Amino acid sequence: MNQVTPFLRALSAVVWKDLAAEWRSREMLSAMLVFALLVILIFNFALELDPVGRANITAGILWVTFTFAGTLGLNRSMAVEKDRGCLDGLLLAPVDRTAIYFGKALANWIFMLSVAVIVLPVYSILYNINLFQPGLLLVILLGSEGYVAVGTLLSTMTVQTRTREILLPILLFPIVIPVVVAAVKASGNFLAGLEMAEIQPWLNLLIVYDVVFTAVSFMVFDAVVEE
Amino acid sequence: MEGPANTLTYLIAGFAVIFGIMLIYLVSLLSRWNNLRKDAELLKELEKKE
Amino acid sequence: MTAQPTTLKILTVVTVLMLAAATLMVILYAPLEAVMGQVQKVFYFHVASGWTGMLGFFVAFVAGIVYLITHKRIWDIVGVAGVEIGLVFMLICIITGSIWARPIWNTWWTWDPRLTTATIMELVYAAYLMLRQGVEDPDRRARFGAVYAIIGFLSVPLTFFSIRIFRTIHPVVIGGGDSDATGSFDMTAKMLQTFMFSLATFSVLFVTLLWHRIRMGKFADQLEQLKMKLLA
Repeated sequence: MNQVTPFLRALSAVVWKDLAAEWRSREMLSAMLVFALLVILIFNFALELDPVGRANITAGILWVTFTFAGTLGLNRSMAVEKDRGCLDGLLLAPVDRTAIYFGKALANWIFMLSVAVIVLPVYSILYNINLFQPGLLLVILLGSEGYVAVGTLLSTMTVQTRTREILLPILLFPIVIPVVVAAVKASGNFLAGLEMAEIQPWLNLLIVYDVVFTAVSFMVFDAVVEE
Repeated sequence: MEGPANTLTYLIAGFAVIFGIMLIYLVSLLSRWNNLRKDAELLKELEKKE
Repeated sequence: MTAQPTTLKILTVVTVLMLAAATLMVILYAPLEAVMGQVQKVFYFHVASGWTGMLGFFVAFVAGIVYLITHKRIWDIVGVAGVEIGLVFMLICIITGSIWARPIWNTWWTWDPRLTTATIMELVYAAYLMLRQGVEDPDRRARFGAVYAIIGFLSVPLTFFSIRIFRTIHPVVIGGGDSDATGSFDMTAKMLQTFMFSLATFSVLFVTLLWHRIRMGKFADQLEQLKMKLLA
């Protein structure tokens, strides 16, 4: 029991540091936000659709937006650590490495959800669709968790390479395809008002993915930060 | 039943791809090995000089 | 670099012979399929290549785990060898899959779950090589490679299932009713024998190539260390 408190304290310290730092500058969040809105705008012109057609692909557009904006957030979150030398500082601290992983992952998750919190109402207004359905919100929670679990691990690696930002999407996107497929299908089904029985397999897939990849990511995290 | 379709060209293309790619890989392996061997000789020369 | 062990020399000869025999078997022994004609014969080496591709990635997965535990250089070398060979054979599998699809379904690509998953795997392992290229320090390169090989391999079943469920709900328009069996046909005894022998041949081919590639990796590693010693 003695080991839990320092772990949780380290975890919350990491999360709090990230949130506080971001709140002060708001650079990353504003970048993610503006980017997300621009993506929606581009989709509006790229896919000229009538209301019926749009209803079918709302889920797809949302998740493409989240996927790309998420990459921005992951990159930035790690780059800041590396550039300011915080990563080394964190690693020198007598703290369980996995606390750092969970702290970063949680912070990244919160950032991604913050983007969703703003994108959803904007999209709802622009296209007159009510996106504030509990089912959709659940899918966003589950989908972004899996994305962020793997993304945090991979961005920790890519920030230490020569090619940095370009490399993260190349590494991340093939791995998160199950998340994207399941999230888009589940979101679309919820929005179309389909029965739970049809949506269940997708939610199950998301949960399995989240569990497996969060577990594996924190188990190997040590290997990507040791010196 | 009119009998099987004539798809011989595709079979030939398929085999060309299979053996072609394997060959390219083999050639790449051989050329890389050659380069390593040249490097090894160079390094041996350097070592002798020291 | 030590000379080739005799076992390897024999293995190489056996591999070449088996490959020749398998090819003859496919062309002459295996019967012509009733509907699809000659192109169906691509199937034998197509599946065998896919199998070899998976073997390569599996080897990289295991090597990755062992490297993270033991930190012995040899496992990194094994991992890279596995990925490289896997990449080559998976590519053969994907392209032959496309060639097979063309006359049968009149399209170059069917978005079939297995072929799509194979393509995604190919991208994962190409990404693996790009990751390694971006890292200077050999130990870090090995660790990162190991981690990504593990994550990559684990994503495969999930990717496959997600696409499979996706497809049963949205059956493909082109490609007939059963989208799961890319061009289904019943295998006669001769076909089965040819198929099994092709699998066996490619498995032997894999081991031989892997062995050669590992030897080359060890050689390169030795030279690197020698280089660093001399130029230090």
